Amino acid sequence: MTTIDVDGEAMPIRPALAEALEVAWQRLASPGTWWTGAERLAIATECRHASACSLCKARKGDLSPYARTGDHDAATDLLPEAVEAIHRLTTDASRITSRWVRELSDGPLGEERYVEIVGIAATITALDTFDRALGRPMRPLPAPIPGAPTRHRPRGARRDLAAVATLAPEAIEAGDPNPYPLHGDKNIHRALSLVPQEVVNFFDLDVELYLKDHEIRDFAIEPRAITHRQIELVAARASALNRCYY
Amino acid sequence: MLIAFVEAVIDGDADPTSARRALRHALGDAALVDAAATVASFNAVVKVADGTGIPLEPWKAERTADIRAALAIDDLRSHDT
Repeated sequence: MTTIDVDGEAMPIRPALAEALEVAWQRLASPGTWWTGAERLAIATECRHASACSLCKARKGDLSPYARTGDHDAATDLLPEAVEAIHRLTTDASRITSRWVRELSDGPLGEERYVEIVGIAATITALDTFDRALGRPMRPLPAPIPGAPTRHRPRGARRDLAAVATLAPEAIEAGDPNPYPLHGDKNIHRALSLVPQEVVNFFDLDVELYLKDHEIRDFAIEPRAITHRQIELVAARASALNRCYY
Repeated sequence: MLIAFVEAVIDGDADPTSARRALRHALGDAALVDAAATVASFNAVVKVADGTGIPLEPWKAERTADIRAALAIDDLRSHDT
């Protein structure tokens, strides 16, 4: 039986979930498509730090989330535009607008690096939320794995669906990684497809946290220790608290 | 019980200890782990949607129009601005 340590006790955990968690931690530390392993960990560090930022706290209370200017309390030496992206994704994501995304994407940060930040922010949020939910201490970030980013932008990516460019399944060209065979090609999978590896990174983890696409509406089997109804109750409440429109 | 657990985990200022204990007592260890995993998923995937402005698929929007209107879910979308 695979177990996870919770306050000195060994709790049972599905082997596939345990493996997906470990893979996700390692991928956070690995060279990405547009950021090095050290930079990806800096992004994760900044995500963890954002809730203590005084500018973010003030903005969170503002009726108009884009009116207040100022400097973030940064924990890293990442570009100011990267810190702005990370902090808002972490502290006030539900009020992000397409205009804000495009301004960041079209500026010094660049669209590809912005999309990879979104993937990293989502991944570290998932990992830290899982540990918090179980009462486990926040896990120290792993050591960075050396190497250079691959820097490959899919040639078929277009800004025609979302605030960022995405790669439609029918637009994948020779030499472009196909991020869709394993987890599907619904819009939520397309969201990060400007950086195909981030689709794979996030959904390899997410399908073990939640359900694989084909399991979601297969009510003949219960692949988890809680039922479909219980899973969807948890999902619906979490989504409502996060003001998720999707 | 599940709702209390989700709310305590997502509220960063809350202490989820008692909600976690109640859930574990009622449903067991494996259920607690899978409930924790589900919260983690839905606390994270929202960043992907909000961060990219990806729209709902038209077929999904059509099928869920009634419930989305009743719950004012479409009002949560800020990406049109």
